[in-house]
Amino acid sequence: MNDSFTIIIIYVDDILITAQEGSDSGPRRNIRLLKANYIKEFSYLGQAEDPLDPKKCCIDLNALQAREEVAIRQAEADAERIGVGVTVEAQNIFDALSKTLPVRWDKTAIVVMNEVRVSSPYLPESVSGGTPAANERVKKVLEFERKRLQARVAGQ
Amino acid sequence: MNLQQVAQPRPFANGFGRRREMGSRQDNKLQSGKSNPSRLPNAGGGYESSSRDRLVYLTTCFIGLPVEVQVKNGSIISGIFHATNADKDFGIVLKMARLTKDGPVRGQKAISDSVSKAPSKILIIPAKELVQVIAKDVSVTRDGFSNELQQDKLQDIMLDSIISQSRHIEMERELERWVPDEDIPQCPELEKTFDGPWKRGWDQFEINKKLFGVNSTFDEEIYTTKLDRGPQTRELEKEALRLAREIEGEETHDLHLAEERGLHLHANFDIDEEARFSSVLRRVDISEDNEDGMLDSHNDETFGGSSGLAIGRHFADLTTGKSSDVAQVSSSSSSVDEAQSSQSGTGLDLYHSGSHDHARHLALDSQSRVQENQFSEQQVGNNHAKEFVEKQTLAEEAQTSKSEDLQSLLDAKKDGSDKGGLSPNATAYAPSHGSSKSQENMGSPAEVSEGPVSARTMGETQSVNSRGRPSSSTSSASDCVGATPASIGPGLSPSSSVGSLSSEKSTLNPHAKEFKLNPNAKSFIPSQTPIGHSFSGHQPVIFNPQAAPIQSPQTYFHPNGPQYGQQMFFGHPRQVLYMPGYPPEMPYKGRDF
Repeated sequence: MNDSFTIIIIYVDDILITAQEGSDSGPRRNIRLLKANYIKEFSYLGQAEDPLDPKKCCIDLNALQAREEVAIRQAEADAERIGVGVTVEAQNIFDALSKTLPVRWDKTAIVVMNEVRVSSPYLPESVSGGTPAANERVKKVLEFERKRLQARVAGQ
Repeated sequence: MNLQQVAQPRPFANGFGRRREMGSRQDNKLQSGKSNPSRLPNAGGGYESSSRDRLVYLTTCFIGLPVEVQVKNGSIISGIFHATNADKDFGIVLKMARLTKDGPVRGQKAISDSVSKAPSKILIIPAKELVQVIAKDVSVTRDGFSNELQQDKLQDIMLDSIISQSRHIEMERELERWVPDEDIPQCPELEKTFDGPWKRGWDQFEINKKLFGVNSTFDEEIYTTKLDRGPQTRELEKEALRLAREIEGEETHDLHLAEERGLHLHANFDIDEEARFSSVLRRVDISEDNEDGMLDSHNDETFGGSSGLAIGRHFADLTTGKSSDVAQVSSSSSSVDEAQSSQSGTGLDLYHSGSHDHARHLALDSQSRVQENQFSEQQVGNNHAKEFVEKQTLAEEAQTSKSEDLQSLLDAKKDGSDKGGLSPNATAYAPSHGSSKSQENMGSPAEVSEGPVSARTMGETQSVNSRGRPSSSTSSASDCVGATPASIGPGLSPSSSVGSLSSEKSTLNPHAKEFKLNPNAKSFIPSQTPIGHSFSGHQPVIFNPQAAPIQSPQTYFHPNGPQYGQQMFFGHPRQVLYMPGYPPEMPYKGRDF
């Protein structure tokens, strides 16, 4: 691939280039770590200020670890929502249904309200189970969401 | 700090003895505030030049952040940064990693068909595979950290966008400006729909019926006083108009009224929004802030006994809903002796009616409603006898009627005793019964509730004056036997004031609240004659059930009004209570409900 970008180098050694994107020296920046051997070419643009001010650097490890915990938990929760071995379309349907109904994955089937199952190919006909009322409701929501998705895809 | 104790199961542990801040977990908390380079002694191998510390520092900053890693085959993997091996080559460990973009696969289409996989709990990307690592929004300096901490704290609050998790679902759409369809006929502008005055051509009920087949059972007269349109309608209307104009043109201290009338609000910046718009009575000051104490009073059944001021009742129609003006009923301050003031306030919402039409209408049809029952049904507070106020003014000459209150007719809620305190100046009537509450002196805005208001209004009306409404009654008058709510009192003099020109109500209100006789109320015997005649159309209210009606029950809004008014001036301790709305043919029955 061929990407090119402008970076300000923070550190270089023969393995890795540590750099930040852009010249922003605000508190938050985008950092890139590049393997040196993947650089095809580069050109020197100039000398900038040291982006990393040693005096201002400090680390609170506990906070970092806490942050990691939080992120992991969040990611796990997110992972629950993602079906394994399902198509993107299925995932979209799942997401759309989850806006208004409690849904979860059961292998490749979407289980709604713990009663109604929607299996591949996730058409209104694929809805089964649950009380008739719930079934109907899920069918309707499914149809509607499908239409919306189609409209959106068409519009894109 | 002993790095070796970092129990990294993988070969990523930092083998160096010297202190390094690494992405890997450490048991000891690093002291903040120290910059890295200075802490690192230069022990160890060639790599550990102090500048590598920067790398270490930065990667440490990455911990817990989502990063994207590009690998050799072009795929991009996203995950939470966990650790790195920065001693020799640069490998990375991610948690909860997933393939974001599949390298070998090109093009959007492929992605949408591909099947998703579960994220890996821990993913190790060896150095050989690694091409680059991109971390966004890394806080690098101390400022950044503090910002981040704050942000994290904020995260505890469930933001709406987090709850809805819309990021999972929808992409932003390109927004387009709306243009109306070409083929739709040009519609008349909405804003201009009602520009024309009072488009009578539009009948909503008819349209509704046509379009939806809905048959309406709306009857205006359920909600308002029925207007008697008899032969005297035009005259009554004229009179009502006159009264309305007069009322509206009155000088007022009441903020709300002033505003309604479009008077310039004197640039008194002490008056804040609350004073201007709230309905809470904050001070008992008569002059400003008249919050609608009236409103309060209305709402509280403070009126105690029925408000004698039946008049207020019909003003209910008027009701502008803002009771504030009730205050306008100027109860002559003096008079309120027995203070049955409580009620007065409400009734006097003369000025409320804001709109011209409204006032007119009020005038027209208010009169009749004197009955207490009616009052009770009226909205509290709104039913102020505007007219009443007018009438009050008439009362100026009236003797002090101590007990009189300008009861706002409105609040009929009280059962039984009315307070008809009429201020001597004001119109007075409203036989006040010995209701307990009253003792307030109208004149003094002592009480928060109606009292002050009424007092105020009384005062106001004073200025207006003139209608010569027979002022309230003398003390004797004030006692009315629990009479009726109807006592509109002189204020209602048909002529003068306020729109009382409306036709009287011809039937008793079947829904009227029950009147309870107050046995302790003093009996009132209005004096005969002049008053009697003058009140053409006024229904005298007789507080004492045994007493015979003094005045012939006539329509309240008789054109004789003015006459009446004059006469009222002379009359003094009489308390004239009118029951507007009593049909002429209906003799007063003495309230024996």
